[in-house]
Amino acid sequence: MKLNYRYTLAYAVLTFFVLSIGFAIVYAALSRSVTQATIGQLEHLHELAASQLRSGRPTLPDSLRLQVQVVPVVATDTARRVRTVQVRAEWDTALQARVAMVRLTTYPVVGGRLYRLASRAAVVEPRDAYLTGLVLVFAWTFVFLLALVVILSELISWRILRPFNATLHGIQQFALSQPHAIDLPATRTAEFNELNEFLVKMTARAQSDYRGLQEFSENASHELQTPIASIKAKLELLMDSELSEKQFRTLTTMHDELERLAKINQALTLLAKLEHFEPGPDALADLSQLVPATEAAFADLAEMKGLTTTQHIAPGVRVPLDASLAQLLLNNLLSNAIRHNVPGGEIQVQLSATELLLANTGHAPTAPVSELFGRFKKGNSALDSIGIGLAIVKRISELYGHHISYDYADGWHRIRLTFAAAAAQPG
Amino acid sequence: MKILLVEDHTELARSIAGYLGQEHYICEVAGTFDEAREKLALFSYDMVLLDIMLPDGNGISLLKLLRKEGIESSVIIISAQNALDFKLTGLSEGADDYITKPFPLPELHARIKAIMRRRSAHKNNVLTFKDITADLESMECRINGKLLNLTRKETNLLLYFINNKGRMLTRQAIAAHLWGDYTDNLDSVDFVYQHVKNLRKKITDAGGKDYISTVYGFGYKLSAPDQ
Repeated sequence: MKLNYRYTLAYAVLTFFVLSIGFAIVYAALSRSVTQATIGQLEHLHELAASQLRSGRPTLPDSLRLQVQVVPVVATDTARRVRTVQVRAEWDTALQARVAMVRLTTYPVVGGRLYRLASRAAVVEPRDAYLTGLVLVFAWTFVFLLALVVILSELISWRILRPFNATLHGIQQFALSQPHAIDLPATRTAEFNELNEFLVKMTARAQSDYRGLQEFSENASHELQTPIASIKAKLELLMDSELSEKQFRTLTTMHDELERLAKINQALTLLAKLEHFEPGPDALADLSQLVPATEAAFADLAEMKGLTTTQHIAPGVRVPLDASLAQLLLNNLLSNAIRHNVPGGEIQVQLSATELLLANTGHAPTAPVSELFGRFKKGNSALDSIGIGLAIVKRISELYGHHISYDYADGWHRIRLTFAAAAAQPG
Repeated sequence: MKILLVEDHTELARSIAGYLGQEHYICEVAGTFDEAREKLALFSYDMVLLDIMLPDGNGISLLKLLRKEGIESSVIIISAQNALDFKLTGLSEGADDYITKPFPLPELHARIKAIMRRRSAHKNNVLTFKDITADLESMECRINGKLLNLTRKETNLLLYFINNKGRMLTRQAIAAHLWGDYTDNLDSVDFVYQHVKNLRKKITDAGGKDYISTVYGFGYKLSAPDQ
């Protein structure tokens, strides 16, 4: 949920509560003032009745006179001279309902005589007359407020959170291997500035660490090449001299191990190289031509293992890829397909405008397939490979934004390279 | 034939020079950029084997200097750089070939021979070993005049053997020669066995002598039995 939605929701709940309390207060005040107004009216009526008694002239209309009971009282009865107001629910015969009724009793003295004036009136219940109106007023206020909040929060958060969103975007765009520092726009908000400063510092540090590590591994494997070459040359020279069989066997083992070391080292240098390789913008590899050529180059190996290869190559498939990297990628994929195959197995190569599919029969991998793109991960440890080929393949695909996936089902290994941009068809 | 080896790693330089000496080349060694420049100014060489990383300079600038001064020596770059560096950046521009460390010495020898043949004025395009002849132009191999029906890889293999006759060739060296650097395909050595087997069979089937001997667990050697 977006930040400003959360704010809006919280504000909506808050507004709802405040408005509900406001509604309760207004309702209570309204019902109180309605009762007070009714009492006021009755008092006015009593005054009129009292003045009528004084003058003996009828000042009240007949209809009102009926409402006031005028009863002369015995003067000694002092206890009942106090003015009383009663509000209670009563059955009203005219309305045929129980209604709140106000009863007012006053004891005016007219011409030396004490009278008891009693009257009653139904209070207009706010529940009946005003409730709907009140609810509507509050509901509309709520809706209006909410609409305003939604619109304003969108506008305000867009403005206020703009630097924050820019920072988020900057982080998303950031890659450790990029040559320049992270790009975060300046802002006037103190907190965002602090965040940006922190991010810039942190990424700069990570980048320099990363570069240091990369330089180290690159230099290390690069510097190793010459001593390895020297040892290898010496071993080869030594092998050409007169040796006992035992010595010769030892030398052979040494040579094989050195060969392996050299291969690993070469692969690592290659990976390090690819790690910060900047792909050219308009490199295009003609896969329709490269794939069959690579297949042909490996044909003898496939044949020796008794493998049948089927190809479906769409013409004119060109994808963004450096030609020598494409060759490297295809070499690795095809040699894998041959190496991890079973004798008498099959290889299928399908190239279409959108993807390259390479499938081969083989034993089930022992490691989870998703891990096989990692370095030194081998699906089958029995085989004498160094397990870095797929890491290289993955890196090359990533460089150009192509997507590579691997799965194993029903005895078939399938490697699918989905091209990033639609491959250009010949015009 | 005179070769100048520019390599700052003395032990490696000594090994290469020793090996090339056995192959009857005259090989001189320069350990630094300056030394190499001096030698190139004073003497003329048929070939320069050039390391890129030198303590006092870059082999590539030496190569440029060489070409600017019109020195016609062939150049093979020997470098610890990755093969990809050459392909991606055109590092080897102006050089005749490049080879990445570590390399089998016979491979270097094969490359030197190939370049020398390309540059020699009188095009000697036929390679012979005993009764085997190989025409480098048409890539046809014959035994006593009888055409051998070889695949491209087998032809390549036979040429490699002839170029390095009398030498032990490791399976790995043969694999690297036949399939290039890129494959992390260590079991291609098994395929070497197959190829060699097929080649030997084709030679003997054509009535030729089997000059290839197996050095168990290690590699192969092409040599005349009477040598």
